[in-house]
Amino acid sequence: MPANWWTRNRHYFNYMLREFSSVPMALWMLWLLVEIQRAGGPAPRYHAHGSPAFIAFSVIVLLFSLYHSVTFLSLAGTILRLKVFDRPVPPRLIVLAMFGMWLVASVVVAFVLVWFAR
Amino acid sequence: MADKTVTVKATRYDPQHDEKPRLQSYEIPFYDESMVVLDALNYIKSHVDGSLSYRWSCRMGICGSCGMMVNGVPKLTCNAFLRDYWPRPVVVEPLNNFPIIRDLVIDMDDFMHKLKAIKPWIIRKQEIPLGAGAHPQTNQQIDDFSQFSQCINCMLCYAACPVYGLNNEFLGPAATALARRYNLDSRDEGLKVRLPVIAEAEGVWECSFVGECSVVCPKGVDPAKAIQQTKLDTTLRFVLPYGSRE
Repeated sequence: MPANWWTRNRHYFNYMLREFSSVPMALWMLWLLVEIQRAGGPAPRYHAHGSPAFIAFSVIVLLFSLYHSVTFLSLAGTILRLKVFDRPVPPRLIVLAMFGMWLVASVVVAFVLVWFAR
Repeated sequence: MADKTVTVKATRYDPQHDEKPRLQSYEIPFYDESMVVLDALNYIKSHVDGSLSYRWSCRMGICGSCGMMVNGVPKLTCNAFLRDYWPRPVVVEPLNNFPIIRDLVIDMDDFMHKLKAIKPWIIRKQEIPLGAGAHPQTNQQIDDFSQFSQCINCMLCYAACPVYGLNNEFLGPAATALARRYNLDSRDEGLKVRLPVIAEAEGVWECSFVGECSVVCPKGVDPAKAIQQTKLDTTLRFVLPYGSRE
């Protein structure tokens, strides 16, 4: 198996991109955990990161996380096998429900963040 | 039309004389738009080079014997039309991820062992005597498993699976799809017999859901779906109270 197998076709490349997207997200989350720990300590240790480089990194992470979320939720119709009244739920409906729940969860999280930031 | 030709580059490998496989080029007449890659190989075998080795049988996408890499993609050569490649050369290689026995013939022993391990037949705790009559199923019960029963064991999904390419201990797509076919069959009672094979680390859990197995399947089977659903089912059996009930 050559090391560049994932460049053979578009599906392999997209799969690799989906899996790789976890790495920058993990790095960003690690930073968040460090900041949370610092915020709980003496005030001078906490510095809000507003540098252009960090904002650029955050935007890249956001794009990766959106790609990861969309590709992951789109696969839900394949993974879940649900029956209602002994009839299978169409995969498309499952995917739609997943995106709906994602939207609701995002609105709730945004509301909580704005509420506490006031 | 009669002068039209197509270049076919086929893998040649004789383990007694060659260190590694090589491509040999053949220029053959492309006399009919309905010609498939298998026709080209048969032409080479009959008219150009009788020593070319490859497997084939039904020539109609049923037996699953003639799977090969065609221009880098796993295909049934009886279902790969030359017109879709012409005027480019058609490169025919043995299926990826399997050892080569000779030319385009792969060693399929590993797959056969895996197929046998998942016990692809209906298992009953107690056989129903033939005299008891038919064991009827509703359309819904048949729909539950019918797509997985379309598998013809052509192994294209194994050639497309990078996980199997990296670790051939992985149970793989077709064997899991067939295990799922029987586990979903209302007549079958063999789930617990198959679980030790499908639920182990190198069973379904080795799969990272590349999904290419389902893309290349010539029969429209979705082995990736079978694997992911088996992951969910085995997890629920472990997590839920009474989850491991029959």
